[in-house]
Amino acid sequence: MTGQLRERCRRLLQDGAVQVVIGYGVSTSDGMPHPIFVRRPDDVDKLIWNEQCMANLTTYLTRDAVKALGKPAIVVKGCDARALVVLEQECQIDRSAMHVIGMACAGVGSPRAPKCASCDVHVPAAADEVIGEAPAQTGPADPPYAELEEFLQKSPAERFAYWREEAARCIRCYACREVCPTCYCPRCIVDKNRPACLDTSATVKANFAWHVTRAFHQAGRCTGCGECTRVCPVGINMRLLNQSLARAADEHFGYRAGTNRETPPIIGAYGLEDKESFIR
Amino acid sequence: MSELIAQEALPGLVAKWLAQGKRVAGPSVVKPGYCLYVELKSSAQLALEGFIRPRNSIKEFVFPHHEAICRYHFSGHTVETEDCDPPQVDQVIVGARPCDAAALPILDHLFTWDYEDKFYTERRKATTVVTLACQAHDDACFCTSLDLGPAAEQGSDVLLLAVPGGYEVRCLTDKGRALFAGETRTVEQTAVVPPGPPVMVAPGTIMAFLQARYDDPMWADLALRCLGCGACAYTCPTCHCFDIVDEGTAAGGCRVKNWDCCQFAMFTQHASGHNPRSGQSQRQRQRIQHKFRIYPEKFGVMLCTGCGNCARNCPVGLGVLSTLKETAGSAPVEVGV
Repeated sequence: MTGQLRERCRRLLQDGAVQVVIGYGVSTSDGMPHPIFVRRPDDVDKLIWNEQCMANLTTYLTRDAVKALGKPAIVVKGCDARALVVLEQECQIDRSAMHVIGMACAGVGSPRAPKCASCDVHVPAAADEVIGEAPAQTGPADPPYAELEEFLQKSPAERFAYWREEAARCIRCYACREVCPTCYCPRCIVDKNRPACLDTSATVKANFAWHVTRAFHQAGRCTGCGECTRVCPVGINMRLLNQSLARAADEHFGYRAGTNRETPPIIGAYGLEDKESFIR
Repeated sequence: MSELIAQEALPGLVAKWLAQGKRVAGPSVVKPGYCLYVELKSSAQLALEGFIRPRNSIKEFVFPHHEAICRYHFSGHTVETEDCDPPQVDQVIVGARPCDAAALPILDHLFTWDYEDKFYTERRKATTVVTLACQAHDDACFCTSLDLGPAAEQGSDVLLLAVPGGYEVRCLTDKGRALFAGETRTVEQTAVVPPGPPVMVAPGTIMAFLQARYDDPMWADLALRCLGCGACAYTCPTCHCFDIVDEGTAAGGCRVKNWDCCQFAMFTQHASGHNPRSGQSQRQRQRIQHKFRIYPEKFGVMLCTGCGNCARNCPVGLGVLSTLKETAGSAPVEVGV
């Protein structure tokens, strides 16, 4: 698949169809695939595809320095592609002004990333082209909220104790926010200081406020790519928090962010049949 | 000849320090795959092997993420303030990595420079650092490029070296000797220090590059990948930037000193809206310039111990070492340009 990817990208750059390929390249420091930006046909051999291609590259599409490079081709997995749908619905990208190369994927990470257990997008939807074929034997996917369901078996007191411990470790590096494709606000609420909305101190209380606020802002928008959890230096499982709101959107509105570009985003749509039972 | 403490005696000693009312910090596995320096509640939490190094650094025990420096409250048309005293702590950091301990004398320069930051210096004075020499390194480690190594002694009060059945104890300061007095026995064997990572970059050439290539297009290329988070700076043993903010209500509150990071867009944002470092390439360049040119020019030491945490914690695999290798790989710098 790496060979095919390189050839396609060589052609796209040679033909001037795109000016930059946002893909994965092998880092010299740790031998792992990390994001690279290929601008010349001669450099396409730096591109790689393997099951360590963890990063969701769509987070770069809303960045000014990347936009300045010209029309991009972007390499996405099925889970990453869901963010493209959200970004398009929220008018953050012009989907027609980019070329999306979907990579068929049997799962990433060793051990496998938790999200892969419930993956139902081994072949990216809505890509302009797909490289590779659906994995032959993937087995039935876990139910989408299995990790959350298991967590919810605990008592509220146990769950609170768990989150308290998680929040106590947060150092406010904001890697979760920066890596997230749908955290694209030019000025995040936590950076607002005239007046300040959220304390920037890394206290348990302020960290709760930060993570809960971020989760609410992700309600009906988080596509579950799990990048926030992967990059957290202190191992906070933010995906679990986001899954709780994703499940609420699913249960109450039958809505899964980034799965269907024709379905209006739940935060921006109103229907007479909308449930109001949760308003108290 | 050397002094030895048995493997099983070390947790007992840690328990003794705790019982004496000392604050004890050390590496602990908080969840699978995540080893962090934490304040230990019991000696059982301490982890001394099975990892390369903790994902954070010991700096937070002398320079905490947030610290109250003053309290204020509004009373009619006046504001009443009350300074917070520097904390009174008696603490031991056990199982520190040499690359963490070595950061402390580097940080001393900054915090005692034109103004003595008592919140730092008081903690520093009351802290004893018991370092454990490294048995292994990974691809991110580059301490030897910074004139350090797996058994470097800088910043340590005691250096422990693993030997069969225990640890060789090398007390380096009076503070260290006080902690281990009567706890060791003299033996014949001495520890063998395993080799550290190969020397990968030369600080001298880095400085020359940074002086000559301030506007090198390399910076823009490198920074494209940078997401602008603080995972590198906040897990770095030597990064020390902070912000002073007021947190509270209309009635009053607290002035706190919080960690800040030069990779955040807000770091240099002026009240006018102007930002002298408006792009990530300028912010990436600043981080490297500060570590390998500005700080050594001012204080005579590099602001880096080669611990590699920046690379390990970077969401996109961009560490100081990979950046330095880029500078080394660039065209040679002509002296005098």
